[in-house]
Amino acid sequence: MAVEYRRPGQTLPGHPSSDSLADILERVLDKGIIIAGDIRVNLLDIELPTVKIRLLVVSVDKAQEMGIDWWRNDPMFNARAEELESENRQLRQRLREIEGSSDEEESR
Amino acid sequence: MSETGQYLFAVTRGLPSDALASVHGFQGEDVRILPCGDLQAVVCTVDLAEFGEDALRANLEDLRWVEQVARTHDDVVRAVAAAAEAAPMRLVTIYADDEGVRRRLEEVRDDLVAALDRVTGRAEWGVKVYVRPDDAPDAPRPRETSGVAYLQSKRAAATARRTADEDAESVARELHEALSGATVASRVLAPQDPRLSGRRERMIHNGSYLVPFERADEFQATATLLGSSRPDLIIEIQGPWPPYSFAVLETG
Repeated sequence: MAVEYRRPGQTLPGHPSSDSLADILERVLDKGIIIAGDIRVNLLDIELPTVKIRLLVVSVDKAQEMGIDWWRNDPMFNARAEELESENRQLRQRLREIEGSSDEEESR
Repeated sequence: MSETGQYLFAVTRGLPSDALASVHGFQGEDVRILPCGDLQAVVCTVDLAEFGEDALRANLEDLRWVEQVARTHDDVVRAVAAAAEAAPMRLVTIYADDEGVRRRLEEVRDDLVAALDRVTGRAEWGVKVYVRPDDAPDAPRPRETSGVAYLQSKRAAATARRTADEDAESVARELHEALSGATVASRVLAPQDPRLSGRRERMIHNGSYLVPFERADEFQATATLLGSSRPDLIIEIQGPWPPYSFAVLETG
C-alpha cells in the first residue's frame, strides 16, 4: 500500500504528541504567527550537528513600528536606538525617492 | 523565580476554562487563559533566566532544549485547537508581563480575528510524498570495455533518473491539485531537510491543506485513491493538526 496514515497524538489528557521532531520543528519554527514579543530573538542560521534551524528576527525598527519600545527607558539601549531610528528614516526617504523616480520612468 | 515573562502559545476565543487541564507549561508552571477583549491569550509564566534574550540565544543552539520546548509548545497548541479555533504562535514569543501581551494583541486584533475566522471549523493536514527507493540496487555491471560504453551507460542512467524525477514531480502536482478539491486553502512547502527528517527517501512534495472538518474523510479518500495508483511513491498523510500554516496575520 502506497499510502501511510500517521495520526499525531490526539489531545488526550496527559498524552503527549509522538510526532517526529522534524515535523514538530517544521510547525513551531517555520510556521505559526510571527508576532514580536518583548524578548527579541535573533535570526540565526544555527548549524547543529545534524540540523539547521532558522529563527525569527525583529529589528529595532520593525519592533518600533509595532509599538514595542521598552528599551527607550533603558540608558544602555537609548543612544543606539536613536541612531538606528535616524538611519532608518533616512533610508526610507531614500527608498521613496528611488521608487518615486522609477515610477516616473515606467509611465513614460 | 527571579525575573519572569509571559510565554504566548496561541490566541483563541471561546475556550472553555478546563480545556487546558491536561497540559502544562514550562518548569511545572500552569498554562493560563488571559482574556484580551473578546479574544483569549494562552500563556504561561517563564523564568527569564532561561527564556530571556541572552539565555535564549544560548538555549536555541541546544537541540535538546529546543526539542523539549517545541514539544511542550505543540502539546499546548493542540489542546487549545481541540477545543476552539486557534491561531498558534511561532516558538518563543515572550512578553514582559500580562499587560504587554494584552497591548500587543490589541494592536493586531483585527488581523487576529480574521485569522481565527479563516480557520474556524477547519484543520490542517500535511501530505508528504517520497519516491520509494529502487528495490533493485544497481546491477553489477560488466567491466566496461571502452570509454564510450562507460559514458553511454552513465548517460542512460542519468536519463532514467531524470525521467523518473519528472514523472514523480508531475504526480506530485496532480496529487496537489486533486487534494485541493476538498480544501479551502493550501500551501506548498520546501521538502524537509533530510538531515532533520532522517529519511532516506527523496521527498518530492510537501503540502499543507486546510480542510473543513466535514470533508476530512473525502480528503483522506482522495489521497488514498491517488496513492494506490502509484506504488512507487510513498504518500504520507498527517493530521488533523492545529492550523499553523493558515492562521497567519495578513498584514504587518
